Amino acid sequence: MAAISIRNVSRRFGDNWALRPVDLEIASGEFIALVGPSGCGKTTLLRIVADLQEPTSGEVRIGSDTAAEARGKRLLGLVSQRPAVLPWKRAIDDVRFTQKIAGRVGFDPGKVLREFGLEGHELKRARQLSGGMLQRVNIASAMAHDPSVLLMDEPFAALDEMKREEIGEWFDRELTVRPKTVLFVTHHIDEAVMLADRLAVFSPAPGRVLEVVPVSVPRPRDPSFRQDPRFVTITAHVRELLTDRAEAA
Amino acid sequence: MPADAVLAGEPRPALSPARLLPRLGWLALRVLTPIGSVLLLWYLAIWFSGLPAFVIPLPERVLDVLWVDRAFIFENLLYTLQVATIGFVWANIAGIGLAVLFDLLPPTRYMLMPAAITLRNVPYIAMISVLMLAFGDSILSKTTIVALAGFFPVLVNTMQGLHAADEVQLDRMRILNASWWQTFSQVRLIYALPSIVAAQEITGSSSIIVAIAAEWMISSTGLGYVINHAMQNYRGDQVYAVALVATGLSFLIYSLVHALGKRLDWRTADPRRG
Repeated sequence: MAAISIRNVSRRFGDNWALRPVDLEIASGEFIALVGPSGCGKTTLLRIVADLQEPTSGEVRIGSDTAAEARGKRLLGLVSQRPAVLPWKRAIDDVRFTQKIAGRVGFDPGKVLREFGLEGHELKRARQLSGGMLQRVNIASAMAHDPSVLLMDEPFAALDEMKREEIGEWFDRELTVRPKTVLFVTHHIDEAVMLADRLAVFSPAPGRVLEVVPVSVPRPRDPSFRQDPRFVTITAHVRELLTDRAEAA
Repeated sequence: MPADAVLAGEPRPALSPARLLPRLGWLALRVLTPIGSVLLLWYLAIWFSGLPAFVIPLPERVLDVLWVDRAFIFENLLYTLQVATIGFVWANIAGIGLAVLFDLLPPTRYMLMPAAITLRNVPYIAMISVLMLAFGDSILSKTTIVALAGFFPVLVNTMQGLHAADEVQLDRMRILNASWWQTFSQVRLIYALPSIVAAQEITGSSSIIVAIAAEWMISSTGLGYVINHAMQNYRGDQVYAVALVATGLSFLIYSLVHALGKRLDWRTADPRRG
């Protein structure tokens, strides 16, 4: 695991600001959710941390490395909304593919796929798997080389409400077994509050961090936390921040 | 067989006789119907056109010529096949090679693509004449024209295919700090395979046609030469016989390439295959 330091990071395309300067410190092993309206720059920030985009200003540090150095050392894992599972590979081969490219074996693919609830599906290809199963394979592949940091861009967005909750709970439990530093982009406030240690709430575009809201409840969180007064208070507060900002804009 | 067993990767069951017979019947119909249609049209053309036998011979006469002149036709068929094959291989080397070069070094695309487009649009008759002047009646002149005729579809389709890779896959390779070669060979080239295969279907069968056309113009061997020689001797039956052979060969090559392409096309391949 590694800490992430985001200092004065911004991104501009011509005269348009996609992301106003952001400062964020993420401790090693912490789960940070980036929450905000569409187009506010959450994904842009994630891609800058992943060294897939250059910032206009500022710097990202992952541990003692720059983002580019961290990517060079293969310390990062990326989980996109659309699964990056290669369509011609079987599930287990896709996980092994990550390990082969990274030159590092984080875990036994067959064993982990079974732990991920995919027993009997290891030899299936993408089009034979349901959306939830495919996203689990996607996450397994992203974690296969044991990255220090996991960058997740709305990974459960394509799933229905029930499936999102189910896979969210599963992922929460998985992180206790394989802890990572996680940067998680989502539109869904309740999902963020269920999973994250802290929420960075973004304003509408051009986005900046309005407030970092802590969720001081240990993980993994029981599904009954959704009925907890603390859950209700936090989600209401985040919703208020976003609504006030939307009205002000 | 239940759907879950299929999904679980169970092998397909063998066809029972009850299911095999209708499939064979359907296959026979698909083969015999076009042959029957052509024969019907052929006889109708003979009956209603009133043209002499050396212009439209009877089908049975053509088959007779195919049998009697089989050694002569086969010898020239082999030559045409050689020209078409060598030209086809060079068309792929040039087409795929250029596409990879353009991908690796984008400025080369701006330098060389105009030349490729120009070559594509030069009339083949003019090109054959120039090649004849340069290389004479040699296998080089004929294979060159086949390669020039075939490389452009391969080039364009390969270029298009190399850009077909899903962006999330490319992000995945970037985040893993994969090398250019790893990304190219293990993701982009495989994504490009369906497009490359589609180009082979065009180039494969057209190689035969272009080889024959080149031989017809400038050669003393090959099926094109046989057509030319038969025309000069008013042997319409021999012309038709060679046309049948050439058509059959083109169709065979197309079918082989198509069948091979289906196995290589990961989009439609049987997911139960390892």
